[in-house]
Amino acid sequence: MRTVNHAQLLRLHFGEADRYEGKPLYEAIVHRCKELQIAGATVFRGLEGFGETAALHRHRAMHNDQPVVVTIVDTAENVARLIPELEKMMDTGVIATSDVECIRIQKTP
Amino acid sequence: MLSKGNAKKVTIFINEDTRHHFAPLCDSILSFLLHKKVAGATATRAIAGFGAHQALHSTETELLSEHLPIRIEFIESAERVDELMPTLYDMVSDGLIEVQDTNVVKMANQDLPAEPKAPHTEMRGAARLMRIYMGESDRWEGEPLYQAIVNRLRVMGIAGATVYRGILGYGVKGHTHKGGRLPFSRDLPVMISVVDAAEKLAQAIDQIEAMMVDGIIVLSDVDVIRLVRSRPEEEHADR
Repeated sequence: MRTVNHAQLLRLHFGEADRYEGKPLYEAIVHRCKELQIAGATVFRGLEGFGETAALHRHRAMHNDQPVVVTIVDTAENVARLIPELEKMMDTGVIATSDVECIRIQKTP
Repeated sequence: MLSKGNAKKVTIFINEDTRHHFAPLCDSILSFLLHKKVAGATATRAIAGFGAHQALHSTETELLSEHLPIRIEFIESAERVDELMPTLYDMVSDGLIEVQDTNVVKMANQDLPAEPKAPHTEMRGAARLMRIYMGESDRWEGEPLYQAIVNRLRVMGIAGATVYRGILGYGVKGHTHKGGRLPFSRDLPVMISVVDAAEKLAQAIDQIEAMMVDGIIVLSDVDVIRLVRSRPEEEHADR
């Protein structure tokens, strides 16, 4: 029997060049998610984009700053617990949440 | 022109020496089908069989092998079959005609340009967005899982799918998906996103779930603004 759960999808948009305590921000965020025992996080790199400052985020030889999106799917409580932490870490960027239904597939023990 | 989807399969059982206007019936039927531009027909000679006359015809009893059973098969749309049937009914003076429902999965022809695109459908309003998360190194029957899923979705007639490769991540399996120095040792996260009507996605989920080992499927309600398959006739008109 398939179990469909209500969950929240969290998307964080920022640049690849953003850093937190010397580490790339996206690495720091994935690490923090693991510490907080969030179900999962995935980082995607975009080709090109712009945001708050209207500066174009793209690949350049000297300064690589392609857009980065981190997606997280977890229960509403866990997402609510995570957001304040992320707000502390992110400098500029966007945090977007949406309600989703999720099916977890785990066949390996 | 025969297309994918529901069709009728007609099977005609006759004998090799049955004649129609002095020509072998088998030849007459095939030339009639060819003349009517039926998508294709195949005649097969059997090695043994019996029919209404209750006499066994086999390669051993028929020394000259001229009284063996023959089976002619062709597949066409229901309307075409209805149109052909009266003539076939009259032609088959001795034998059996059978019609059954069938499903054409693929209709390919090297000589013709690609099969005609599905008619343009514009989707507007409520739809569902499905995101499927897995690892790049996950496999299904020897091919990468993401590729197998996209192929399956395509066969199912799902409107579209896009595969994204992540640069870092972790999930159900607990290990961190990271890029290795060597391309064959890496296991980066992969996400497939699909937008289509809720009912079509529900069918797709059943199949995808069976193919996946570990992973997560996330569904959300979305509003589609525009989803138009290319309209070939308009493209030509622009030139």
